[in-house]
Amino acid sequence: MPTLNLPLTETPSLLGGFDETLLEHSRKGEHALLQAKRTAAYESYASIPNPDRFHEEYRRQDPELFKISTFSPLDIPESTSYVAAPEDEKYDLIISVSPKGIAINDKNKVCADGKLVVMTLDQAAREHTTVLEQSLGAAMVPEEQRKFLDLNGAFWNVGFFIYAKKGLELANGILIRYHNDKADSILLPRLVVAAESLARFAIAEQFTSPNGVRTLCISGRELLLDAAADVKLVSLQDWGDEGIHIGEDWARVKRDAKVNLFSMTVGGKVSKMTVGCDVCEPNANAYLGGMFFADRNQHFDQKTLQYHSSPDTYSNMLYKGAVKDKGYSVYQGIIRALKNCVGVDSYQTNNNLVLDPTARADSIPGLIIDADELACSHGATFGNIDQEQLYYLRTRGISEAEARRMLVMGFFDEVIERIPFENMQDHLHDVITRKFGV
Amino acid sequence: MPEFETDSNLVQEYKYGFVTDIESDTIPKGLNEEVVAIISAKKKEPVWMLEWRLKAFRRWKKMKSPTWAYIDCPEIDFQDIHYYSAPKEPVNLADMDPELLKTFERLGIPMGEKDAMSGVAMDVVFDSVSVGTTHKEMLEELGIIFCSISEAIQEHPDLVKQYLGTVVPPGDNFYAALNSAVFTDGSFCYIPKGVTCPVELSTYFRINAADTGQFERTLIICDDNATCSYLEGCTAPARDTNQLHAAVVEIVALENSEVKYSTVQNWYAGDENGIGGIYNFVTKRGHCRGRRSKISWTQVEVGAAITWKYPSCVLEGDGSVGEFYSVAFTNNHMQADTGTKMIHVGKNTSSTIISKGISAGQSSNNYRGLVKVVEGATNARNHSICDSLLIGRDCSANTFPYIESEDDSAHLAHEATTSTISEDQLFYLKSRGLSEEDAASMVVKGFCKDVFKKLPLEFSVEAIKLLEIKLEGSIG
Repeated sequence: MPTLNLPLTETPSLLGGFDETLLEHSRKGEHALLQAKRTAAYESYASIPNPDRFHEEYRRQDPELFKISTFSPLDIPESTSYVAAPEDEKYDLIISVSPKGIAINDKNKVCADGKLVVMTLDQAAREHTTVLEQSLGAAMVPEEQRKFLDLNGAFWNVGFFIYAKKGLELANGILIRYHNDKADSILLPRLVVAAESLARFAIAEQFTSPNGVRTLCISGRELLLDAAADVKLVSLQDWGDEGIHIGEDWARVKRDAKVNLFSMTVGGKVSKMTVGCDVCEPNANAYLGGMFFADRNQHFDQKTLQYHSSPDTYSNMLYKGAVKDKGYSVYQGIIRALKNCVGVDSYQTNNNLVLDPTARADSIPGLIIDADELACSHGATFGNIDQEQLYYLRTRGISEAEARRMLVMGFFDEVIERIPFENMQDHLHDVITRKFGV
Repeated sequence: MPEFETDSNLVQEYKYGFVTDIESDTIPKGLNEEVVAIISAKKKEPVWMLEWRLKAFRRWKKMKSPTWAYIDCPEIDFQDIHYYSAPKEPVNLADMDPELLKTFERLGIPMGEKDAMSGVAMDVVFDSVSVGTTHKEMLEELGIIFCSISEAIQEHPDLVKQYLGTVVPPGDNFYAALNSAVFTDGSFCYIPKGVTCPVELSTYFRINAADTGQFERTLIICDDNATCSYLEGCTAPARDTNQLHAAVVEIVALENSEVKYSTVQNWYAGDENGIGGIYNFVTKRGHCRGRRSKISWTQVEVGAAITWKYPSCVLEGDGSVGEFYSVAFTNNHMQADTGTKMIHVGKNTSSTIISKGISAGQSSNNYRGLVKVVEGATNARNHSICDSLLIGRDCSANTFPYIESEDDSAHLAHEATTSTISEDQLFYLKSRGLSEEDAASMVVKGFCKDVFKKLPLEFSVEAIKLLEIKLEGSIG
């Protein structure tokens, strides 16, 4: 397939190129269901004004920083031969995506008995039309207009559908590996996860690119959890130093179900992650874990929404961030309890380590509560490494640099150790070490 | 499970809702440069002041009303307001209009010198003018200047020129610009070097005339090593139209000085259906200019239909301290978006924020605050606590703290909780023989205790009583 060059306007606007021409190109040859979904997303996308730095959400991260109009979307071939990686051992099923193509490797034959469906959206549209129709675009939280989510919905260039039937359990989980080494290209991955009741599994996503290669990724993920399902999704954003990432994760959690959403942001140049969950039936539970560590000139922005649309729902959020060198991190979070949603128990914590005087961290937690008889709290802290802890380690003969690294590692471990994949935990520890140059 | 429903029939009648029938000198509605000039002329102001006002007015015309607050405010027609209204007879304390004197008696303000409260020096602003200040001589002996701002412009122009607009510049925000153009009265305090003001300085604001706006301007300057405590109280008649109150308060604290500013804001809040009430759009800011200076804000907000108010501290002097203690109570259809800003600029600065919001009825109560540590402000410390209490199912409580840290030596902590009165607490108190209403009221008072204990004693007692009255009918 030839690569599509975006028809750039003379004065490139923020989202130059994401127009009807590209929409037609994306829709070409697709199943009618996907075409309809793309058109609906495009209509919503077109109706939302372009974000600008005067908009509250972007005040601290000018959308011009994404430089979207200087990239062009990738055209990813349908299939390619699978390239193995050492970490594959730890997973049941591996999906790998690169500009060369897509490969799904069902190593442990977990899809064989039909209880688990893992396929591209194109294939799913043909084979599981009804379920996909109900799932694609269904996890979005109302009230919020999300420009980049709709952009992804209209223009995604690689999409997967993971559909777990009742009672499915996976021992090791699924890995989705995105690697982009094509300069100036946009990857627009879409992931739809539908878990029927009592399904229990974990998914890991990993984004990498070589240093020095300009890449942009606008990702959209949605998770729908039926009664008593238990799904963990870990997303590790470790692009090379020229990567730009915009991510939107949305989950809808029904009765007695539990979702764990981990968002680990360590790579790239500019990153904007939005994670939201709607706990929409009694006893639904959500845990949002986050880690961000900005060094050099990295600029990371995180936004969370804990949306309680039903009484007796629970959510807990822990986002830990560190900034070093000229790194800048922003955390914005909201707990929203709708009217009559009594019995909600929700917590939001954001801890920040500011490691250098030139670094900066902003935190804007928030509560919007329209019901009584509930308990919603948030806490945010800022500080540097505790001098006494540092002193203690130094008296044990540990060098200062090593002691600092250990303390930062310990700081992040509260989130990292909850990740259900050991190799990912190791990877994050390596990243921390890398950032300290040890 | 107890149900906390607001019974609108039980809501306490607003005690200060009467209108005083006196002849007023009111200028026609509308706002243009001529009106600004008329106000300036009525105040017999020097030319520089008029120019200052006009500059602010021109600035204001280019500005737009802010929309970011979490309040639902109908558009205000700024041409439909009287910008100046004053009692016609010139008033002085010796022969005050008996009608006016009666008003102050009903409000509980001692105005005649002979029965003046010994511990408080009082300035009273009635609509657009200050009608009298007590204890002047005693303060003069100490070199303390405490008078209306109009008087200060005429008699202490150098001080006013030096400080006015240096903390809240005329173009700071939409309502500050409007205030700078048309402000009518307010208080001016200057505490000279090394003086500890022996009495509480107090200003009482009263809106009386209909369809007027009150634009008060207060300027407090505490020179090196000086200390003062300032109190402010506000009431207005109950009317079915909305009235605008857009005040600017500026505090300058020089080296080693300490200013304590307390407010009990009890503007008319509208009736139980949300008709009428005061729109209270206020800019209050303190500037810790000198080393080791301290500014402490304490506010009890129980009135006004819509409140939009963020008393702030700019901590510029090294080692300066900012404090903010607030209780905001909303009921019926009241809306409050209030909080503080602590901006750490100097080294070793610290700030404390304790905000308690109570919402009942269909009201909405928001905390919005900023803690900012700029680069180079080493060893900044902040601790913020924002608690909200919800009484009833239809009210809402929101918290929006903004925390920005640009320095690695800063230690900042923020905590917020939102909850209702717990069943356990109520059960415990009821098992001790308290009625449900008393028990709930006791829990609420306990919830606010951290703030009330910061108020001067007389005010503290009054604030607790006020809250009790406001709570009546909301619980049980």
